[in-house]
Amino acid sequence: MPRKLQLFDTGELRPTVAALALNLVTRMDLLRLKSIARLHARGLPPDVSWDDLLQEAMTRVLTGARRAPAGVPIVAFLAGIMRSPSSEHWRRVGRHPRAPGQSQELDALDPAPGPERQLSARQELATISALFADDPVALQIIAGLAEGLTAEQIRAATGISKTDYDSARKRMRRCLLREGLTCGIA
Amino acid sequence: MRNSLKIAAPVATLTRVLAALEFELVNATDEEILEAARDLGMDPEMKGSAAFLGLTYPVRARLADYFDLEAIRNARAAATERLAGKAPKIEHDE
Repeated sequence: MPRKLQLFDTGELRPTVAALALNLVTRMDLLRLKSIARLHARGLPPDVSWDDLLQEAMTRVLTGARRAPAGVPIVAFLAGIMRSPSSEHWRRVGRHPRAPGQSQELDALDPAPGPERQLSARQELATISALFADDPVALQIIAGLAEGLTAEQIRAATGISKTDYDSARKRMRRCLLREGLTCGIA
Repeated sequence: MRNSLKIAAPVATLTRVLAALEFELVNATDEEILEAARDLGMDPEMKGSAAFLGLTYPVRARLADYFDLEAIRNARAAATERLAGKAPKIEHDE
């Protein structure tokens, strides 16, 4: 349901609004992006919020700092950009500066992350597990994904049927969307 | 397979999990988003829905969202000037 939105009365041109004005994303896309931003904001310091992450991604697109490759949906592209600030943060606080020529995408593959990053990652993994604590099938899927297994490999290892697997994925999506939609509400 | 996460390499593990969950959210349908919103009592079709907090209006309300701060500053400066020049001096008896 693409619908034009009004700018703030302050006259401030928020990138999200500007993006809508450019018909880059629909209102449903914005909610999708909000949940993705919430997901990627995990593990970042408290002064970096999900909306900072999303605004930064939007700004990079609108200023031309990042250009979407042809054929890549805008939501997938913005989601990819939102991974970068997380990596950049850890590169700043870590002991392993980026090597000349190393791309931002490679930061996630840092072979020797510092202890602070490892601790934060453990805490975030625990938080994510807690989200699905009441759903044993979802937990099995998460455990499989954590080991880098494909859907077929997870089903083969766990004996979960395709129907149960797809149902669990749907429950997981709904849970993550609910998490995202409640962002900003005290 | 265990239900618990193997965290020998937590950063790499978290990266894989986040990428997989991001994929799920990127591919969530509009209907799934609406269902999740309904679970929370939200109606994204409604103007001003709480679902859009931080997206189409700010998460943290700022004075500038409600008041014309420039006009307030000007009015305050004018009032201060007026009071300094014209307000009667209050004299106190000892």
